[in-house]
Amino acid sequence: MKGRQVARPDNMSGDNTAGGPRDSQQAPLLVAPGEDLGDSGEYSAGHGVVAMNGRLRAVKQGRKNTQDGTVSVEPRRTAYVPRPSDLVIGYIEGCTSNIWFIDIGAPFNAILPMSLGPSKAEFGGIRKVLDIGDAILCRVQEVEENHSSVVTMKGMGLRAIRSGTVEEIDPHLLGRLIGRGGNNLRQLKEETECRLIAGDNGRVWIDGEVTGMVEARAKLNDLLMEAKVAEYGGVA
Amino acid sequence: MGGYGDVQCIDENGIRLDGRTVGEIRPISIEVGVVPVADGSARMRWGLNDVIAAVYGPMEAHPRKIQRQDRAVLDVRYNMAPFSTTDRIRPGFNRRSREISKVTAEALESVVLTELYPRSKIRVEIEIICAEAGTRCAGITAASVALAHAGIPMSDMVVSVASGKVHDIVVCDLNKEEDNYGEADLPMGILPNSGELVFLQMDGDLSPEQFQEAWDYNMGAVSVIHEHMVAALKGGEA
Amino acid sequence: MGIPLVPKLLRAHLAELAENDSRHDGRGRFEGRDLELEIDCLERAEGSARVRMGDTIVYAGVKFQIMTPYPDRPNEGGLMCSAEVRPVAGRGWEPGPPSPESIELGRVVDRGIRESGCINVEELCLIPGEKAWQVILDLFAISDDGNLFDAFALAGIAALKSAVLPAERYEIGEDRPLGVAKTPVMCSYHKVGGRFVYDADKREELGGDERIHITLGDDDHVHSLQKGLKGIFTAAEFDEIMVEARSKCAELRSLLDQKLAGE
Repeated sequence: MKGRQVARPDNMSGDNTAGGPRDSQQAPLLVAPGEDLGDSGEYSAGHGVVAMNGRLRAVKQGRKNTQDGTVSVEPRRTAYVPRPSDLVIGYIEGCTSNIWFIDIGAPFNAILPMSLGPSKAEFGGIRKVLDIGDAILCRVQEVEENHSSVVTMKGMGLRAIRSGTVEEIDPHLLGRLIGRGGNNLRQLKEETECRLIAGDNGRVWIDGEVTGMVEARAKLNDLLMEAKVAEYGGVA
Repeated sequence: MGGYGDVQCIDENGIRLDGRTVGEIRPISIEVGVVPVADGSARMRWGLNDVIAAVYGPMEAHPRKIQRQDRAVLDVRYNMAPFSTTDRIRPGFNRRSREISKVTAEALESVVLTELYPRSKIRVEIEIICAEAGTRCAGITAASVALAHAGIPMSDMVVSVASGKVHDIVVCDLNKEEDNYGEADLPMGILPNSGELVFLQMDGDLSPEQFQEAWDYNMGAVSVIHEHMVAALKGGEA
Repeated sequence: MGIPLVPKLLRAHLAELAENDSRHDGRGRFEGRDLELEIDCLERAEGSARVRMGDTIVYAGVKFQIMTPYPDRPNEGGLMCSAEVRPVAGRGWEPGPPSPESIELGRVVDRGIRESGCINVEELCLIPGEKAWQVILDLFAISDDGNLFDAFALAGIAALKSAVLPAERYEIGEDRPLGVAKTPVMCSYHKVGGRFVYDADKREELGGDERIHITLGDDDHVHSLQKGLKGIFTAAEFDEIMVEARSKCAELRSLLDQKLAGE
C-alpha cells in the first residue's frame, strides 16, 4: 500500500506494545483477524482461517495452531453453534400445546417437540411436565440449514434439572475444564464433593452441598482466569 | 466547514495548535475488555477522543422483519454521550448519528463474515465519551477491535482516519480547531492488509493535488494505527 | 429480547445460599464489590466521575447552560439530573426512548441530590428573573452488572463536587467551583433468597425480589427512599437495612472526601 509518510507522536515509538507483535518469544502464536498465515498450497485452512487468493488468512483473534497440515486459530471467544448429538443444558423459554421452546445459548433457540419430551402430557398440561424457567439436560437431535435446531430428552441421563446451579463458560474452554481424559473435571468433583456435568454449549451444572457449590464456582472462575492468561502467553 | 480566518491553526513553521507537524497523527491508545458484560469491547483514545465500542452476539434477530435468510445483520449504533462535547448534546434521535451508524454498519459488513450466522444479529454499540474531531473514524476503528475481541470472524479489521485542509495546507488527522475552521475533511476506512477501502466520505473543497495529498496521508497512517489495534488484541485484557 | 427469563433453578439456588448465609460470589451479606472511584476523567465535562463496582461501570458528567429562571422562582437557577442506560451497557438494554427503568434511575438519584439541599440554587441566579445557571448532571452506564442506582448516585455527587462553572466561556466573570455543601450518598438493598443484601449484582437482581434505595445526607438525615419491583417487606427488615445504610453511607462519604482531597 502506498502512502505518505506519517509521523508518530512521541508516545508511539514502538516500545509500548506490551508483549505485542515485535516480541519474538511468544508473539508468533497470537494472531489478529486479517493476518496473513502463509501460502495456501502448504497447509489447509482450519477453524478461524480462510483461504483467499492462494493465501491463508486468520479471520479470528486467537492463538495460531499448526497441526497435521492444517493451520487453525484457537479463538479467544466463541459463540455456541449447535451440532447434532451435542449434550446441552437449556432453559424452557415458552411453549405451545405440543412444543417447548428452549434457550440453549446459541444464536437461535431450539425446539423440543412433545414426542421427544420426558413424558406425554394431557392436552393443556404441557407446563406440568416442563414449565417456563425450568432447566433441562438434553441432546441436539438435528440442526437445520437455517440454524434452528431440535433437541431431544430421549436418552440416557437426559432429564429436567431440579437442583443445584448452572454456570456458564465459553464453549472453547470446555477442553480446559475437562482436562486430558477428564482428569481436571474428576479432580474438581472430588475436591468439592459435587456432581458436575459440562454441556457442549458451555453451561455447567453443579449440584451438591452449598459450600461445595460455592467452592466449585470459585474454582471454575479461577480456571477461566488462568485460561485468559494462558491465551495471551502469560502477558495478560 | 466554516472557513473563519481568525483562528490560526498552523504557525509559520508548520506547527499545529497541538504541537504536531502537518503529517503527524495524534497519540493513540487502545485497550480491550473495557465493558466486562459485553461479548467483546474496546476503548480507543485518540487525541482527546475517548470512544468505547461493545459487541453483543450473534443473537436471534428481533423483530423478525430485520432477519436476513442468508446472513447476519449488523445492528450498529453510534452515539455521543451528553457530556462528550463543549455544548451538551440532548439525548435522543439525531440525524447525524443515524447517518454515521449506517455508514459504519456498511463498512463493517464488508469485512465481517456475516454469511456464517444466517438470520441472526450482531449488535455493535459505539459510544463517544469525549469528542475531539474524527469521532466517526475512532468509532469504526474501535468497533473493529471490539468485533475481533468478541471472536466474530472477519476477513480484516477496518482502520479509519481522516485528513483534511486548513488555511490551504493539507494536514493529517484533523483536531478540533482544524475540523471547525478548516476547509476540507476526508475520512476513509481502509483494510490494512490489502489497502482496499470500505468507507469514504468527504466534504469541503480540495484541488486534485490536495485531494491526492490527503488521500496519501490517510494511507500512510494506516500501518501506525493498525499496529496499535493488533497490539491491544494480542496484549490481552488489563 | 424484552423481559429476561428467570430460571427457576437460579431462584432456588439463591434461596439455598441465603439459608446458609452465603452469596453466590462468596461475599458477606452486607459486603460490597470492589469499588473504584475516579474524579475529573472527562475532558469535555465541567465536572465528572467514573465509578466501577465489580463489573458495573458508569460515568457522570456535569454540563452548564444559561436559563431563564421559572416565573414562580425568579431568584433560582436549575438542577436537572438525567440517567441514560443505552444498549452498550448490556444485552437486556434496548435502543429507543428512555425505558421506565432508566427514568426511575434518574429520578431517584435526582431526588437524593436535590432534597439534600447540597446545591444552593439561589447562588446560581445571575440576573433575577432573566438569567441563571442550569446545572445538568448526566448519568451514563457503560456496563451493567447490577446496582446501577448506587453507582450512579456516587458518580453523580462526585461529578457535582468536582464541577467548575465555566463563567469565562460565557463571558460572565471568572470560573469558580460549583459549591456543593453536602454529600448525599445512596445505599441499595435487594431482597435475594428471602433476605436483603447490599450491592446485588445482575444475577442476584435477576433471581431476586424487591429492592430498597436509601439516600442519606450528612448527619444521617434521610433524603430519599424508593422501593422498587414486586415484593413485600416488614418494618423489622427495613430497620435492619437502615442501620446498615448509616454505616455504609458514612464509609462511602469518607472515601469520596478522600478522593476529592486528592488522597
